[in-house]
Amino acid sequence: MLQLLRTEWLKLKNYPGFWWLMGMTVLSYPGINGMFYFVFKTETSNAKQAAQLLKMLLGNPFEFPEVFRTAAFLSSCFVTVPALLVIMLITNEYTYKTNRQNVIDGWSRNQFLIAKFFNVVIISLIVIALYAIVTFSIGFINTGADVKNKFQLVHYIGLFGLQTFAQLSFAFLLGLLIKRAFIALGVFIFYKIPVENISGELLKKYVHPEAGRFLPTESSDLLTPVPAFFGRLDQKVYDHSLSIINEQIFITLAYLLIFWGLVFWIYKKRDL
Amino acid sequence: MSILQVQDLKKTYGKIQALKGVSFDVPEGSVFGILGPNGSGKTTMLSIILDVLNADSGNYSWFGKPASPDLRKHIGSLLETPNFYHYLSAVNNLKITNSISGRGDVAAIDAVLQKVKLYERRKSRFSTYSLGMKQRLAIAAALLGDPKILVLDEPTNGLDPVGIMEIRELIIELSKKGHTIIMASHLLDEVEKVCTHVAILKTGTLVTSGSVDEVLIDEDVVEVSASDMQQLQSLLLTIPGQTKVHMAEQTLHVHFPKGTAKPEEVNQFCFNNGITLQQLSIKKKRLEERFFELTNN
Repeated sequence: MLQLLRTEWLKLKNYPGFWWLMGMTVLSYPGINGMFYFVFKTETSNAKQAAQLLKMLLGNPFEFPEVFRTAAFLSSCFVTVPALLVIMLITNEYTYKTNRQNVIDGWSRNQFLIAKFFNVVIISLIVIALYAIVTFSIGFINTGADVKNKFQLVHYIGLFGLQTFAQLSFAFLLGLLIKRAFIALGVFIFYKIPVENISGELLKKYVHPEAGRFLPTESSDLLTPVPAFFGRLDQKVYDHSLSIINEQIFITLAYLLIFWGLVFWIYKKRDL
Repeated sequence: MSILQVQDLKKTYGKIQALKGVSFDVPEGSVFGILGPNGSGKTTMLSIILDVLNADSGNYSWFGKPASPDLRKHIGSLLETPNFYHYLSAVNNLKITNSISGRGDVAAIDAVLQKVKLYERRKSRFSTYSLGMKQRLAIAAALLGDPKILVLDEPTNGLDPVGIMEIRELIIELSKKGHTIIMASHLLDEVEKVCTHVAILKTGTLVTSGSVDEVLIDEDVVEVSASDMQQLQSLLLTIPGQTKVHMAEQTLHVHFPKGTAKPEEVNQFCFNNGITLQQLSIKKKRLEERFFELTNN
């Protein structure tokens, strides 16, 4: 395994595209959370009546323990950036035909994919680490000493991690199938935003009210529900979104098995 | 001993049958040329034996063992086009080859780059190389760690005449050292100069295979001339065993079944019938001529 990782590192360490996208990933997670945090602070810090009303309505979504949920939700919106990185890692191999050269030089097809699997794991771990750093930083800045159960929602690190890994795995599968980076990214975004939302609504209407949560990326999107203040809009819907998280974990794990099962099966059957 | 045994390989692309049950053996220490017109299945066959294409049926073995990634690590290969990471230098690309195959080390990387005359440009990105330089790097990757077996698909593609000559000399040098080289090429002249064995493919079918001499010689041709060519032609039509006599430029070609022509008997026959020959020789077919005969091109 170390040999696989060492080889992947040799491929990436001098690749400017990798470092640009990694830089964008590293900046985007603190960026999106920081932006919302500063907007929240600005809008709620003055003494005007509207600002105080807003503060009452929102509570403090950037305070422990709620910050775990808020940051997970906001961060999950930025999965497209690391998804492009993951797509690029596989589509580059097709563009340069180096996937076939790796096999000619002595890797099995499975070894090639195991190396890529670890790439996706490592990128997911980097994203999780960024989320954790941002969450703890904002949480410690915002939370008073009197707040108890600060880490009550620390398990959201795991939920966010599982969501990220599942969605990056889906992106990898698309990259492997489509072989062209920007088409694969386009399909990823197009599927995630309009297609799955429309499909979810249609399934809800014509099949079963709960059917939408079994869709490939919606299943993992539901691991990180909206921040608690949304519950004030519809408490029943919000409570339901919290109650299904454990089921969504199993559905997401099943999809992970399907995604990677397909990846290995397709690559075994396909001519390189 | 056979280095590679190919048995009844078949491969289709949709309705196109690229290989129709190809079988042959590659003897150890041989320079084995695979010839065929465009679309004859040469690259498909090499791709299957290097595991980048899946055969529909049939099998092949290296060193008498079923193919495996570990066995492939001991084979230096250049398949179709030079496949490298465009953003990496020659050295960094060869480090990846080394990391995957285990062949060579840092010193060996420098040595092969010197051998293919890319050492001065070793730190330049692959994307900045000319076609010929890319091909040289692919040859360097195949040579890394001095593997005993080389699979080279059109190794002289994109090379200038000097480069082609250097590759020919390299193949001869490696052959003398006991390496086995499997080479697909369109350049029949090059193949004739370096190969000990050939296999000729045509539209996915193996037309013939064997040592170069066996493949080239399908009949004996005696080339003769005399002062009166008309008289000579009339006489030779009566010589026992001949299958055909025809005029070719300034000489007559007398065809006999393979292995039956005896020049001294031809000479004696003409002399006894009052004709003194000015020229008498056994004509060897060129590979090019034989290739066109076999592939009907």
